[in-house]
Amino acid sequence: MSFFTRGFEGRRRDDAPEGRVPPGQYLTEGFPVLSAGPTPRTPLEQWTFTVEGGAEPARWTWDEFQALPRESVTVDIHCVTRWSKLDTVWEGVSVDTLLEAVDHDAAYVLAFCDGGYTTNLPLEDVTDGKAWVAFGYDGEPLDPEHGGPARLLVPHLYFWKSAKWVRGLRLLDDDEPGFWESNGYHLRGDPWREQRYWGD
Amino acid sequence: MAGTAVLGRLTTGWQVAEAVDVVEETPRVRTVVLSAPGWPGHRAGQHLDVRLTAPDGYQAQRSYSIASPPGEPPAITVEWLEDGEVSPYLVGELRAGDRIEIRGPIGGWFVWEPALGGPLILVGGGSGVVPLMAMARLRAAERSDVPARLLLSSRSWEDVIYRDELAALADGPDGLEVVHTLTRSQPEGWSGYARRVDESLLREVAWPAEARAQAFVCGPTAFVETVASGLVALGYPPERVKTERFGATG
Amino acid sequence: MTARTEELRLDGNALGGALLELLGPEGTATVGTCGSCGARGELALLVVYVRCPGIVGRCPVCDEVLVRVVEGPDRTWVTLAGLRTLELPRT
Repeated sequence: MSFFTRGFEGRRRDDAPEGRVPPGQYLTEGFPVLSAGPTPRTPLEQWTFTVEGGAEPARWTWDEFQALPRESVTVDIHCVTRWSKLDTVWEGVSVDTLLEAVDHDAAYVLAFCDGGYTTNLPLEDVTDGKAWVAFGYDGEPLDPEHGGPARLLVPHLYFWKSAKWVRGLRLLDDDEPGFWESNGYHLRGDPWREQRYWGD
Repeated sequence: MAGTAVLGRLTTGWQVAEAVDVVEETPRVRTVVLSAPGWPGHRAGQHLDVRLTAPDGYQAQRSYSIASPPGEPPAITVEWLEDGEVSPYLVGELRAGDRIEIRGPIGGWFVWEPALGGPLILVGGGSGVVPLMAMARLRAAERSDVPARLLLSSRSWEDVIYRDELAALADGPDGLEVVHTLTRSQPEGWSGYARRVDESLLREVAWPAEARAQAFVCGPTAFVETVASGLVALGYPPERVKTERFGATG
Repeated sequence: MTARTEELRLDGNALGGALLELLGPEGTATVGTCGSCGARGELALLVVYVRCPGIVGRCPVCDEVLVRVVEGPDRTWVTLAGLRTLELPRT
């Protein structure tokens, strides 16, 4: 049924720079906070990041994590709820760096987080400079409401893949749908192909 | 009309409704009276969902409490929220004759009718008054003598939704008792409450615990939780305090 | 301006629309039992987060996820896996 509401235009899209905003998205100036649960508050002394599923697990404490080589990246982010934000600046550790610490031949990863959230990705979507574990946003430590102390950052996919409060990656041979992927959201989530839901 | 669905599909879903009347309640709040041919009727306290579709297919959807009592066409009272997606359209753009999609009625718990008894204490924060007004209007329409008190928190006298109608409902025997608190500014000579609802205000206004009153609390999440825990602290059993939280995004 | 997470936390009344076709207009009166802690109560009492990007309903006692709903363009996905049992009152 194609029913349109007279006089309703939704969000404005005409101020979008050419080629920067995927189909069906609109630009936002703010940074909407979307959450599936209460904000976890893990103290840094207890925080660890683990890569498991390889020959041996690798684990870093917060201090050890901070000592890893870090990068500052400027990326566009796209949420499946339709907002996009351009030129966001993050600081974090490349997932490539983390995976180098582990001996594995996995094809998939499952990110797991404080609060129980999970999201799945093919290995090639988190390697070769495509993904980070980010702990800084816009020059400041990442706010807990936005996923701090650290979140996964995978900007080329819809932002539900950039899991907040991430605590580790599990290496897998087979794809294992995460929290939203097991309930209707697309397994991969490429915004340029508008892969929002199952079957897209 | 109670739901009769089991794990099957109802035909209840989205339907097109026409705005037949709009009423400006306050500078930022408007009531939209709807006509929907498939409307099955509703209970006081229920809400409906509104869906708007832009020409490019973009859709936005929000929930609004039904302000009208059972037996009348569904009417929603909408507050314009800064940065809102749907409320600016409903309050600022929509005109009589326009058509929107609605879904409902929705809700089986935050509902009241006189047969459920009382006494009643209705506590609303801003536009949280809307479902409580449906209850108050039903009570008046049925000439119910269930004792009922409404405590309404608003920013200022100009922001009080249904202000005159509430005064009229308060008139006469078995009238609704209406208590206002104005949290941001008060008119000259105001002698009423002038602060956010807190436990001491509730102690003065709400029925005492011995009255075994039924409470309905509606408004923003923080408001609802402060009031609900205040009532429980006064001795209300938690199951006698029903709550409906509004989101801050519209 | 960002909405604080607090303001995004609603209650089970906000699940009623998404579950309308599954549980009917009075679906929020459905009583659920948490599969994790055993708490039992009306779905209206769940702690609900909306647009996150779907809808999540959590147990008000132990915070476990009981309900997940995603409304797509032509279908709705529902996971009730966190709930052990549903009780549908008859009128």
